[in-house]
Amino acid sequence: MAEVRVEHVTKTFGDFRALDDVTMDFPDGGFFGLLGPSGSGKTTLLRAIAGFLFLDAGRIRIGADWVEDVPVEKREIGMMFQSYALFPNMTVADNVGFGLRVRRVGAAEERRRIGEALDLVRLGDFGDRKPHQLSGGQRQRVALARAIVTNPRVLLLDEPLSALDKALRVDMQIELKRIQREIGITTIFVTHDQEEALALSDKIGILKDGRMIQAGPPREVYRNPIDIFAAEFLGEANILRRPGGSLPSGGVIHLPATATDASALAVRPENMTLSATEPAADGLSKMSGILAQRVFSGALGICLVERDGNVVKVIARDEDLPDIAEGDTVWISWKPEHTIVIPGG
Amino acid sequence: MNGRFLTIAGRIWLGAILVFLYAPILIMALMSFNASPFYQLPFEFSTRWYQALGANAEIREAALRSVLIALVTTTIATVLGTAASIALFRYEFPGKQALRILLFPPIAIPWLITGTAMLIFFFGIGMGRGTPAVIIGHVALALPYVIVVVSARLATFDATLEDAARALGAGPWMVTRRVTLPWIAPGIIAGALFAFAVSFDQFVVSYFLSEPGDATLPVLIYTAIRKGFTPEINAVSTIIIVVSMLVMLIAARYSKFGGER
Amino acid sequence: MSAALAPRDRLRLLGLLTPAYLWLTVAIFLPLSAMLFFSLLSDVPFGDAPWHVTADNYLAFFQTTTYAKLLWKSIKLGLMVTLACVLVGYPCAYVLAKTIRGRAREALFLLVILPFWSNSLVRIFSWAIVLRGNGVLEVGLNAILPFEVDVNLMFSTPAIVIGLVHSYLPYVILTSYLALQAIDDSLIDAARSMGAGKLTILRRIVLPLSLPGLVAGAVLVFVPVVGSFMEPRILGGRVGTYYGTVIEDQFVAVFNWPLGAALSFILLAVVLLILAVTSPVLRRAQA
Repeated sequence: MAEVRVEHVTKTFGDFRALDDVTMDFPDGGFFGLLGPSGSGKTTLLRAIAGFLFLDAGRIRIGADWVEDVPVEKREIGMMFQSYALFPNMTVADNVGFGLRVRRVGAAEERRRIGEALDLVRLGDFGDRKPHQLSGGQRQRVALARAIVTNPRVLLLDEPLSALDKALRVDMQIELKRIQREIGITTIFVTHDQEEALALSDKIGILKDGRMIQAGPPREVYRNPIDIFAAEFLGEANILRRPGGSLPSGGVIHLPATATDASALAVRPENMTLSATEPAADGLSKMSGILAQRVFSGALGICLVERDGNVVKVIARDEDLPDIAEGDTVWISWKPEHTIVIPGG
Repeated sequence: MNGRFLTIAGRIWLGAILVFLYAPILIMALMSFNASPFYQLPFEFSTRWYQALGANAEIREAALRSVLIALVTTTIATVLGTAASIALFRYEFPGKQALRILLFPPIAIPWLITGTAMLIFFFGIGMGRGTPAVIIGHVALALPYVIVVVSARLATFDATLEDAARALGAGPWMVTRRVTLPWIAPGIIAGALFAFAVSFDQFVVSYFLSEPGDATLPVLIYTAIRKGFTPEINAVSTIIIVVSMLVMLIAARYSKFGGER
Repeated sequence: MSAALAPRDRLRLLGLLTPAYLWLTVAIFLPLSAMLFFSLLSDVPFGDAPWHVTADNYLAFFQTTTYAKLLWKSIKLGLMVTLACVLVGYPCAYVLAKTIRGRAREALFLLVILPFWSNSLVRIFSWAIVLRGNGVLEVGLNAILPFEVDVNLMFSTPAIVIGLVHSYLPYVILTSYLALQAIDDSLIDAARSMGAGKLTILRRIVLPLSLPGLVAGAVLVFVPVVGSFMEPRILGGRVGTYYGTVIEDQFVAVFNWPLGAALSFILLAVVLLILAVTSPVLRRAQA
């Protein structure tokens, strides 16, 4: 187990800047999510930590060692691939034992540790199967067992759950978290699924165009996004571009103290409340609009409110929504502390 | 060993193999432009062997015969092979796997065996040797290649397109002509070029099946080589190589030999 | 198997399939049967000469050691050429499939297998010009080397092997390349992440996974080489007597067709044996 530090890492492929001066800390034993849209450099960063890339500039430290010049096979990492990359010509046990065989731990020790790893992922009886005889979720567990059996210093996961269907994915998230807690290994994973990143991570890093635009605990990043991209990428956000104060068409937006002329404002849809009439309570930010669409999705109701050509999205428990129909004039209100100030605008 | 060294060694290996594959062909081509009839060096440029070719009626006729046989073979093999590929793609029926396996004997059995077997059979049924026998043999050798190439293209075809066309009211023939054939056209063209190459380059089967006076070009060359080498053979060989390589280069444009599309 | 076809579909199926397979029957399968029949005759049944069914032609193979020795000579030639093709071709396929990317790879691959689709007779002839005494190879070497060398490989076993390797090398490269290319790069990445070096990856991942392709290539080389006759004739001269040339002689020189048929069938038996032995590996390619 070890902490990982990435310092000013830059990598270009031809004209394309895949990583641009990226710096991030991954403290020992934590679970870290790297996320961003495709082409943002998140997988490149993971492969750089693993050692598959030769860096143009920057340094990478695993534990006490600077490893940017150490080849993959000497970095003592465990990695799980998006396709799982199970060796089709080997049994499950041979797959898991591959890294142990390379390290010549001896037959008895090898058997013992393969058994332990398979038990950890609850596949104790599957050692003799071939990968093609397993379900998607089972393959994923084998790949995980294979990645951790050598006690690597850091575990790297490349889109670990993206090949699974939704129900299984949620189960595996819980399972992954349990195993990570149990062995306490520093884990870095790449995902484009923001819910997955929020659910699993102690700390997340958002990448865009090869740059790390924001890193921090999920809740903090969610509540204080550094720019509009971060706000919209992590969850949903209604961006308010007009300045605060009283609105000409009625309503008011209370400006937080930190807002400047350059900053934009955003409000999460689930923090807004919808009502048929202007809310009377003092201190609320509020504005009116026309209900354009109302969608029932089981527990939640989603309302799109049109206002001066802009659409504002409101999400609430369906039973909490007032009795309103499409075309009605409605009021949106929210508490001032839910107004997010985006510094960069 | 370091990775960089291995990479360079690999490139050199690949380069050496290309030299091994092409050097003799290039030397042969070069020698066809050498004035000396005994391949004497130093090299002296001349087109006299190509002029001699033009004057040689036997070679001209053999060349024409080879091309005609190849064209007839290509036409028959392409039509029959495409039809069979579509049937194998579109319908599920018992014995389908067996039919696919039956495509391998013409490719996998040495041509010496197939060639002599054809010779025996065609004599047995009273047809004997000659150009028709050669064509029957060539089509049989070319058919599996056409079916394999066209089937490979068909495998990339979305069968629901056929269902969609039928749902819109098109009959099976209309579906084939307007939906299936346009999609697999590159495969058919590639298959036809393969068939042409198989026939045009075929020596063994032609050798056993052609009448002495009616030799194809490769058979004529073989007979000539056994009598002694002349630069005239170089000249005609050079033309053959250039033609077949051109045909295959065009085929490659329509069908990737590799797995990627 | 899905439900039976509707009668109309059955007709269409027959209409599409029958011509091709009828052709194959007439041109391949009936001739092979005819040859089996011929191999059991005492004489060709065309003229007035009396003939009867006999096993003499097969017995002839076993009564003298001549044919068996020649068959063994051909098999040895096949093994030599196959081994050379594998040793030369597999690394080449690896370099192409795993170290070169994009358009360069496609172009080089095409360049490597292009000669394979040109006339094999002509290519064998081109080696005759290179290898003969006072030929290009000798003159070329003497121009470079400070001492005189005498390179007359023509009409020797090495000449035959070189010519055959040149003819069939692209087979091994083609099949190995396709198998190697199908190996997901992430498998190699995964092995590296677990600490495996290059040799371990080659031995435990790359070689086992590409073995079906390599074996397929080897079979595609071995089978025609065992039955080759044109190459030994042109490049081997007097040392170029092989099993294939003896069969050729029965049909074009000696006119003992029944013996030729029997010898061909024994060759076919060898070929089928090879295919049977290698089929478990080859079938893995589809799994």
